[in-house]
Formats: sequence, structure tokens, C-alpha cells
Amino acid sequence: MNPDLISQYFNAQSAAALAPLVTLAAGLLLLILCECFESLRPARPFIFVGSILGAAWAEVALMNGPVEAVLGGTYSADRASALWGLVFLASTLIAWVHARSYYHRSRPFLGEHDMLLLAAPLGMMMMAGALDLTVFFVGLELLSIPLYCLASFRRQRSESVEAGLKYFLLGAFSVGLFLYGAALLYTATGTLSLPALAEAAASAQGFSPMAQVGVAFLLGSLLFKLSVWPFHMWVPDVYQGAPTPVTILMATGTKAAALAVTLRITGLLPDTSAGLIALLAVLTMAAGNLGALVQSNLKRLLAYSGVAHAGTLMLLVAALRANGALGPETTSAALFYMAAYVATAGGAFGLLAWLEADGDHFTEIESLKGLGRRRPALAAAMTLFLLSLGGIPATGGFLAKYLVFSVALDAQLTGYAIAGVLMSVIALGYYLRVIVAMYMEPASDQVAPPMAKRTDAMIATAVCAGLVLVMGVLPALFLNLV
Amino acid sequence: MHNLTLITFLPALGALLVALLPTRETRVLRGITLAVTTLVALLGVALFCAFDGQLAATQFAQSVDWFSLGSTHVRYEMGVDGISILLITLTAILMPFVTLASSGHITERTREFLVWLLLMETGMLGVFASADLVLFYFFWEVSLVPLYFILGIWGGERRLYATVKFFLFTLSGSLLMLLAVIGLIQQAAAGGVQSTNIVALTDWASAAPLSAQYWLFAGFAIAFAIKVPLFPFHTWLADAHTQAPTSGSVILAGVLLKMGTYGLLRFGIGMFPAAAIHAAPLFMALGAFGIVYGALLAMAQTDVKRLIACSSVSHLGYVVLGMFALTHAGLRGSVLQMINHGLSTGLLFLLFGALYERRHSRAVDSYGGVAAVMPLFAFFWVFAVLSSVGLPGLNGFVGEWLILIGTFQRSPVLATLAVTGVIFGAVYLLSVTRRLLFGEVTHAETRSLKDLGTREVAIVTPLCLLCLWIGVQPSVLINKTAGSLDALVERVDGARREMVVGELADPQGHVPQQQKAVR
Repeated sequence: MNPDLISQYFNAQSAAALAPLVTLAAGLLLLILCECFESLRPARPFIFVGSILGAAWAEVALMNGPVEAVLGGTYSADRASALWGLVFLASTLIAWVHARSYYHRSRPFLGEHDMLLLAAPLGMMMMAGALDLTVFFVGLELLSIPLYCLASFRRQRSESVEAGLKYFLLGAFSVGLFLYGAALLYTATGTLSLPALAEAAASAQGFSPMAQVGVAFLLGSLLFKLSVWPFHMWVPDVYQGAPTPVTILMATGTKAAALAVTLRITGLLPDTSAGLIALLAVLTMAAGNLGALVQSNLKRLLAYSGVAHAGTLMLLVAALRANGALGPETTSAALFYMAAYVATAGGAFGLLAWLEADGDHFTEIESLKGLGRRRPALAAAMTLFLLSLGGIPATGGFLAKYLVFSVALDAQLTGYAIAGVLMSVIALGYYLRVIVAMYMEPASDQVAPPMAKRTDAMIATAVCAGLVLVMGVLPALFLNLV
Repeated sequence: MHNLTLITFLPALGALLVALLPTRETRVLRGITLAVTTLVALLGVALFCAFDGQLAATQFAQSVDWFSLGSTHVRYEMGVDGISILLITLTAILMPFVTLASSGHITERTREFLVWLLLMETGMLGVFASADLVLFYFFWEVSLVPLYFILGIWGGERRLYATVKFFLFTLSGSLLMLLAVIGLIQQAAAGGVQSTNIVALTDWASAAPLSAQYWLFAGFAIAFAIKVPLFPFHTWLADAHTQAPTSGSVILAGVLLKMGTYGLLRFGIGMFPAAAIHAAPLFMALGAFGIVYGALLAMAQTDVKRLIACSSVSHLGYVVLGMFALTHAGLRGSVLQMINHGLSTGLLFLLFGALYERRHSRAVDSYGGVAAVMPLFAFFWVFAVLSSVGLPGLNGFVGEWLILIGTFQRSPVLATLAVTGVIFGAVYLLSVTRRLLFGEVTHAETRSLKDLGTREVAIVTPLCLLCLWIGVQPSVLINKTAGSLDALVERVDGARREMVVGELADPQGHVPQQQKAVR
């Protein structure tokens, strides 16, 4: 190969841009190596945490020195995608810490698990940084395939296997949709590069009908990952059936990655689609909130609440489509929202993982009765997370909601914003039901989770709770980053 | 010394102390709570004395950068004007008595209760002390949570229903307000005001065209109307009041409902005078209707707590009526009546709470002849009732009088309607007094009732004296609000003049008919 060509692609810039990916990949390979030698196994946690922290350090370096298009214009590492990277890493770390206690009793904590888990943020970062549909596709698969395996990781449990299969089948369908869309786009425009596609979309003649169908397919596959109506059907079953730590990752990290990409391809959508997307947003909120209202299992309830939150996030996409000048506001709102959501939903699902470690039925709302007295600290943390999900002030969730509605009103989506606001009243209705059970109803004596004492899960919960509060009270610390 | 941040967050610090103190002695925890609330009350009174009522400007201001959203800078800003100073003082004064009273009926999970009580105080004080709109909203919604727990854990038998209803009713209002807050901030930013300071926003919004004011006013007004609660949003109040523990009822009636009227005055009218002038006939009518409707509802009640709750609807009707008369007298009476209602309804709830602790029945029929066995109770109850119905010489009279004068200047019809409310008020409160206190002792348990103890007398006596003092010396309170209210009236009159000019320029005239009738 021509050395000039190599140096043109692999220079200091691309090294900096790829540093987080390379760190994660190196960690992944080391983990595989660990599995080969018995004596290396104790090093596994250190390798995992080390590569996460190393990647985070590289992302921080990128935040201060962002890199535009490298590798022949197929990948970029700007400030926003570096911040997205940190969100993904945080989500993975929370999932991993909870996985340690989650698998503590039921089976040995396997090396494959760590490996697969570490591949997920790698895929997410590739998705968020991709400027080319091919790179994007590799990222998507790098994220999806480990998740299929992880979802069915508790293979002696039929729900887990069912969740894995369901996620795999629907996921394969959405990947197929993506590929079909990419193929149509390529046929219509002759390029797979996102900037070039955006240019074509913004040009005077715009996209041909074929390219428009391609974009719609592309969007459909992202909406699947984002769990937006009508692509949300898999969410409750998969979130509930999958091992809870994996649910953490799917609910927070995957959603963040899908959102980052959806915002990036908004420019490809036709101008007139803002109203349609906003309508999807409202329908998603309705589907999520009304679905959650009738659940008796907290894990399933939180899954539906995750759908509702995806609806709120779609308002951002609609706002960006309605008014392209809102780019910076949308990005910072999306980042803040997802950062708060990682801490909040990560904390809430983490508590569920903790409860569930002793038996699946402990996530029934019925069994949470009287938790406020038996486990005051745990119930208080759960209350904080639920209030944050509901967007009550002094929590990160409030400011996240404020930012989203602020962007939506800025884009003149007033009617949709009002609909969204009324939906969050419904949401509070079911969050309060859980709080009522924990604090205000007499304990039912036959079911009481024994709750093994787990230091790492406790620390993770405390950190999440602290983050939620800090984001609510001192948001400037986070807002100034963007 | 006069530090609003200190006053606001002292209870929160107390809550932290109560939560973490490694003791099982509830007496110690109660002592700490009482000490903290008393200290806050003293600081509040000192603040009240130091406040200069002739100035319209925000006083005791504090300001720190909080966070930025785009080009808009949200600051942590505290400050009081002539309206909020009264409500801060009222809140601060009521809380020690609520704490004292709570030892009578809170026997379970005392530590939790005290923590929520103290957090509640921080929330309420924060609402009145914020000088920044986002901060105001922050406290506004935060203050929902402690009351939710107080009602839900320590409430009566149907507490869960009442609690969730209360929370969701107020929340739907506040979320609409959130949109109005965001809309206002964005429009002001587009108009060159890149701050969320209430005064700055007020200056911008009150000069904005009617079309801009209209929707923003609606967003704010609905939230406040639900909180007041104004007919037809009043249904949550009766349930919440009835099911709440005594201390929760006192907080609800004494302070929480005032957040609604305070908001209507400071944000509804203060920020959007032109829209308020347009909406005034509607609000005056709703207020007057609420007075009569609340009174009729109260007459039909057999549950004493529910009756007091309905009387609140009636009394707050006066506050809204006087406020939207938009006259000097009406506004002064309205602000004064907020304080009066807080004191006299608070007293009624405290006293009935004492009775309820002895007999555990809210039905008026299960009492009768109580005066014979509880003379002290009878004395204080009659005092509170007279204060509530507006006997001259007590606090209620001055407020109602000013409101009626102010209303009469605008609409003699509504003033007449409101006067009937005074009569109805006397009817239902005096009749419940008769059935409660006098006549034959119908139930054997009544004979063995013990009269008010030292603690209970110590709770109600200062509040009664306060009622008397306001009745004799209302000018002290009125003078504190003079500067702010005069500025408010001036702003409203300015908007009115502009509207007339606009109407002359535009002969079609978009001012609705009933507005002309009121003018």
C-alpha cells in the first residue's frame, strides 16, 4: 500500500479521534486473553474498569481538542460526540457494577459477560461519531449483537431467553430496514457519506422519492432502538425478561446512542416532517404513560416509562427539524437529558437489579409495600429516582424536562409541548403509586425482599442519587460542559 | 442578620439534623424542630420589622449565578417585596405552632414527619422569597413533595385518594405554568431581556402587547387558580383538608393556598396587567360565585373539617374578588385577607384538631354541649369563629371591609353578592358552633372530655392575640404593602390608559363589552 495514503489516513488527528475506541478494543482483547489463563482471571475487574476509565480520559481529551472528520471523512470526534461517549461509558459502568451483584448468587460472573458488555460502548461511540453509513452500520452491529447475547444471558430462565430471541428477531428486522434504507439512499444519490447526503437533501431539487423512502427506513431502524411508537412493542417484554443490568444498558446507553444519531440525521428528513415527528413524540408518550399506568411490576412499569421518555426526546428531534438553527440548544438539551436519565434510570433499574437478585417476584409493586420502613435508605433512593423521572425540581429530571420543553417552545411546537406536559401528569400518577406502596401502605408480611448487603451496588446507587441531586441543584456544572 | 437565604434554608438544615441525629428520643427531635422553627419565626419577625413598606423595590436582595440556558442567565436570586414579606412572616410564625400541635396527633414515624415539616417550610419560604422566576418555579413544585408525604402517611382513612388527587391537580396546573414560564423567558429574551429576574421580566411583560400577554397570563392563572383554589378547581381542597392531619390542614389553609393568591397577584396581575384587566370580570365573577357557592357547600356539611375547607373556598373567593377589582382598597384588603384567612382558618383547624384528638370523630353530630365540659376550648373556638366571620375589632373585618369597598367601586352587583357571603358565613359558622358547643350533651363520651391543656392554650393564645392586634392595628400590615401595591395599581392604570388610547386609535375596539361595563 502506498505509504502516503497510510499517513493520510492514520495521522495524529485520527489517533486522537480513535483513542477511546482503541482503548476499549484493547481492553476487550485483554479480557479474552484473561479467559485463556486461569491465573489472570482476578485481573478482570481491573481491566474492565481500567479500559472504561482510559476511554473516558481519552474522551475528555477530545472534549478539549475536538477533531473534525478523519479517516477520509468517515468519522468525527467533536465535542458533542465526546460528551455522548462519556454518557455511554457511564451507562456501561453502572450496568457492570450492578451486574456484579446481580450474578453474585445465581451463577458465577462470567468473563464473556464483561467482554460483551465492553463491546457495547464501542459500538455506541462508533454510531455517534460516524459520518458514513457504513461506519455507522458497523457500530450498530457492534452494539446490537452483544446486546442480543446479553439479553439472554440468564439462559436457564425462559423469560431471559425469550427476551433475547425477541430482541434479536426484531433487532434483525430493524437492521434489515437500515440496510435497505442505506441501499436505497446509495442508489438514489451515489453516496453513503452523511455530510454529502445532507448537502443533497438541502439542495434545490432535494431528495428523490427513492431517497426519501431510504431515509424513512433509516429513521425507522433508529426509532426501533429509541423505542418510539409504533416501534416500541418489544420494550416491555425485553426490558422485563432481560437480566436487569442489561436492561440498564438498553434503557440508557442504547437510547442515548440512538438519539445522538437521530439528531445527526435530522437534516436528511423533509422539512415538512417536523409535525409528523412531533405527533410520533406525543403518541409515544401516550403509549408509554398509558401502558405504565396499568402495570403491577415495577420493572415493566419502568420499561413503559422509558418509552414515554423516548417520546419526550422525540420532541427534541421534531424541534431540530422544525428549526435547524436550534442545533446547539438541542444538543445540549439532549445531552443533559440523557446524562440525567442515565443517572436516574440507571439508579432505578440498579435498585431493581439489587432487589431481584433474591428472586424475580421482588420487583412486584405489591412486594415493595412497607419498604420505606424496612429499608429507609433504599426506599429514599428509589423515591428520588422516581421523582426525577417525573421531573420534580431539585432533581436532574426537572431541568432535563425544562430544557426539552424550552427547545420545543422555541421551535413553535406549542401544542405538542402542552400535550407532552399533560402526559407527564399521567406519568406522576404511576410514579406516585410506587411511592404510595413504599411509604403509605401497610407492609404485606408474606413477601419481603431479604436484600443481601452489596457494597458495590450501594456505592453505585449512592453515586447515581448524588448525581441526580447535583444535576438538579447545580446544573451549571454540567450545562457548561456542552 | 436579614438574610433570606438563611431564613429559607435554616429549616432544611434542621431537617438534615433531625434526619441524621442518632437518637430514638422523639422529644429531642421535636425540641430541635421547635427550636429551628422558632428561630426562623424570630428571624421572620425581625425581617418584617426591618422591611420598608414605602418602597416598591425588592428588598434584602441576594444574587448568585446559577446556570445559563443559551443566552438567558438564570440566577439564584432572593428578595422580598411588600406582598411577599407578609406571607414570609405568616409562614414563619405559623410553623412553631404547627410543630407544637403535631405532638398531639403525630405518634408514629415522628422523625420522618418532622423532616417533611421542616422541608415543607423551606419550600414555602422559598416560594415567597424567590426573586427569580425559575427559582420561584423550583420552590413552587418542590413544596408539593413534603405535603404529599405528610398527607399520604399521616392522613385520615381516605388519605391515598385525597393525596394523589391533590398532587395531580396541582401538578397539572404547575406544568402548564412551566410552559408559560418558558414561553415568557423566551419571548423576553427575544425582546432583549436576557434575565429571568422577576422584576426585569415584569417590566418587559407588563409593557408587552396584549396578544403576547394573553396566553402567558392564561398559563400562569390556571396554575394559581387551581392552587387557590378558585371555583371550578376547588374539588381537591375539600378532600385534602379533610384527610390531612391537623398540622397538614393548618399548613394547607395557612400558607399553601396563599401561594395561589400570591401568584395571581404578583405574576398574574403584576406581570400581565393588560390581560388581567381583560380577565378581571371573569375572575371577579368566579370569586364572587366562589364566596356564595363555598358558603352554601359549607352549610351542607356534617363533617367539621370539610366545613372549614368549604369556608376556605368562600374566604379565598373574597381574596380573588378584591384582587381583581384592581383598586387600591381592593388590593390592600385582598393582601390583608390572605393573612387573616391563614390565621383564623389555621386557628379553627388547630382547635378542631384538639377536639379530634380527644374523640376521633369529625362528624358535627357526635358532639354537642362541649362548652359545658371544655370552657376554654369553647372560648377560643368562638373567638376563632368570630375572627373568621369578620366581627369588627378582629382581623377578618378589616380585610372584608376593604375588599367590599374596592369591589363596590368596580361592580356594585358583585359587591352585593359578596355581602350575602358574609351573612352566609355567619350562618354556617355560628350554626356549627351552636351544634358543637351548646345544647344538651348528647353523647356520654363528651362528658369525660378534658379541657385544653397548657400546651394547647400556649398554641392558640398567641394566634388569637395576633388576630386581635391585626383587628385593632391593621395599618401596620397595610403600610408594609403600600409601596408595592401602589406600584402595582399604577402599572395596571397605565395599561388601562394605553388600552383606552388604543381603542380611540382603533374605532373597532377589541376590548370586550363586559370590560366597558366594569370600567
